Amino acid sequence: MRTQRWLRATVGILALAAIAFHATAVIVTEGQTALITRFGRPVRAATQAGLHWKLPWPIDSAMFLDMRRQVYETGLTEMLTRDKKNIIARTFVVWRVGDPLTFAQALGNQTAAGGKLDGLLANAAIGILGGHDLSALVSTNPEDLQMDRVESELLASTAPVAMRSYGVAIEQIRLNRIALPEQNVSAVFDQMRAERRQFAAKFEAEGELEASRIRSEAELEAARTRAKGSEEEARIRGESAAEVARIYADAHRTDPELYRFTRSLESIDKLVNSGTSLILRTDSEPFSLLQSKDKQ
Amino acid sequence: MRKLGAPSEIGRLAAPAAGLLDAAWQRIHWWIAAMAVLYLFSGVTVVRSDEVAVILRWGRLVGDSPGLQQHGPGLLFSFPRPIDRVLRVPVKHVWEVSVTTLDSAAGASGFSPITTGYALTGDENVVHVNMVARYRVRDPAEWAFYSPKSEDALRVEVTAAMVRSLGEMGVDRVLADGRQQLGATATRRAQAGLDAVHSGLEISSLEVTRLAPPAELASEFDAVQSAFIGAETAKKEAQAYAATAIPEAQSYADSVVQKARADGEAAVAQARGEAGAFLALVKEYKANTAVVRERLYRDAVEKALGAAGSVRWIPPPVVGSYHGMRIRVGPAGARPTAPSEEEEDENP
Repeated sequence: MRTQRWLRATVGILALAAIAFHATAVIVTEGQTALITRFGRPVRAATQAGLHWKLPWPIDSAMFLDMRRQVYETGLTEMLTRDKKNIIARTFVVWRVGDPLTFAQALGNQTAAGGKLDGLLANAAIGILGGHDLSALVSTNPEDLQMDRVESELLASTAPVAMRSYGVAIEQIRLNRIALPEQNVSAVFDQMRAERRQFAAKFEAEGELEASRIRSEAELEAARTRAKGSEEEARIRGESAAEVARIYADAHRTDPELYRFTRSLESIDKLVNSGTSLILRTDSEPFSLLQSKDKQ
Repeated sequence: MRKLGAPSEIGRLAAPAAGLLDAAWQRIHWWIAAMAVLYLFSGVTVVRSDEVAVILRWGRLVGDSPGLQQHGPGLLFSFPRPIDRVLRVPVKHVWEVSVTTLDSAAGASGFSPITTGYALTGDENVVHVNMVARYRVRDPAEWAFYSPKSEDALRVEVTAAMVRSLGEMGVDRVLADGRQQLGATATRRAQAGLDAVHSGLEISSLEVTRLAPPAELASEFDAVQSAFIGAETAKKEAQAYAATAIPEAQSYADSVVQKARADGEAAVAQARGEAGAFLALVKEYKANTAVVRERLYRDAVEKALGAAGSVRWIPPPVVGSYHGMRIRVGPAGARPTAPSEEEEDENP
């Protein structure tokens, strides 16, 4: 009976303690801020995560604000660049609650922030892009591109206002769309079409030129190689002819008379063929042997 | 037990209810004890293999550094709520988000920037881009408590990075070989943006799934492409021609030179042979001049007689020379007619 009484008392006390805790403790999770209001008037903001205290309802009440970063994407805004080109741009911001009290008073909740930021950003974008050429945003020349500068100018022109007026800390602004007004698209298409045709013609011409260059170079090279071969051939033939001549000359010099004699005989051999008719005297060789008188 | 005062009318009326409460308490107090025990153990969490857990004590992150804050897979002991809260983050899981903000919708007509997504290249051409980004959580605490919504952040950052990366490249480079580079620079830029806003996310890949000029201009772009291919083909053909023509010429030159060399060597060899023969003959001739001369002459005459188509013998003139001898020359091989005396000839 005694233990039961203790048990009952403990449970009772715990229940009371739990109620008291719930009424006075404010558990602020990471990524949150609790705004403590006294009779509806904000008195302080518990920005640090952890356990905080307040007076029980109905004196104090806690309002939790999500301190996590938010992405807000603006609508498409048409604007004029410095070089008088119409473009349509869209930016996005990453923001978070920077000053909980101001934020709660000016906007009250997260969704209201979007509408306020939209106007602020659109105005800033129109103003700042009006001070830059289109080539600062899109260009093939790296020196013209000034995207970082444009974005930091956007940030510089909006962040202080957003903080002061709405308690919103803007952490990042970037352009995530650069487009053209619908009525300008056809002009751009015409330009692209002309450029494509020009490129096609250029590729064709260049291809032909290059091909004929390769071909004629090859022909030249082939002709040169052939000529070199012929030259070498002539040289070799000349050399061997000289060698042959030298060999014969060396041999024939030993007995020019015999050479003449053998050459004459060879000439006879060469001159006489099946079409030749020889008319010989019977006293010439070899029949002269049959005659009484020897000629030689 | 509860004798707080004299039993009143109210107490009497409430007695049956009090009795019921008493009975209920008797029956359930063990259950309350059991639930209290269960409550005490409710802080035990199982962290799965692809997760990391962080503990919030009174809402505050426990641990000073990310290393101490994060608890790996296994059993994790913490106090029950509301003291501790355990947050499990699937860090190994890779999410996928399709970024279609710069792609044209399938049935969109006209070219309004609201309905049709596209980006401008550095040379002010219009291209459509479709991307698939894969990402995972790199820093659980940052991701859970400070980051913007992952998909939103990823979509806008990737889009902005792609708009910027396209804006610095010419359309031809983009469409021809810039795709890889485009993906790489856009990934780098998007990651830098995500880091700047403490998203705690890491892009593991950014794939450009579609990169195309507007459908209205597709035929023009194709024409450029085919002109390019045609030019390359012409070049390749010319190179192939060069690749055969030059070796052919080389082989011609080589064969001509080889032939000349062979001919030359043969001629020299023949000359040597003949010279050798001549020298041998000279030696013989010096020793027996008359005999050798005679033999050579006879050989030659015999050979000539054998080779000649016809041989006619005429008697020697009676006195010193012939008179009135006529020779008729017929076609080759024809039998010469008998000589009649008219033309005169001398035979040495």
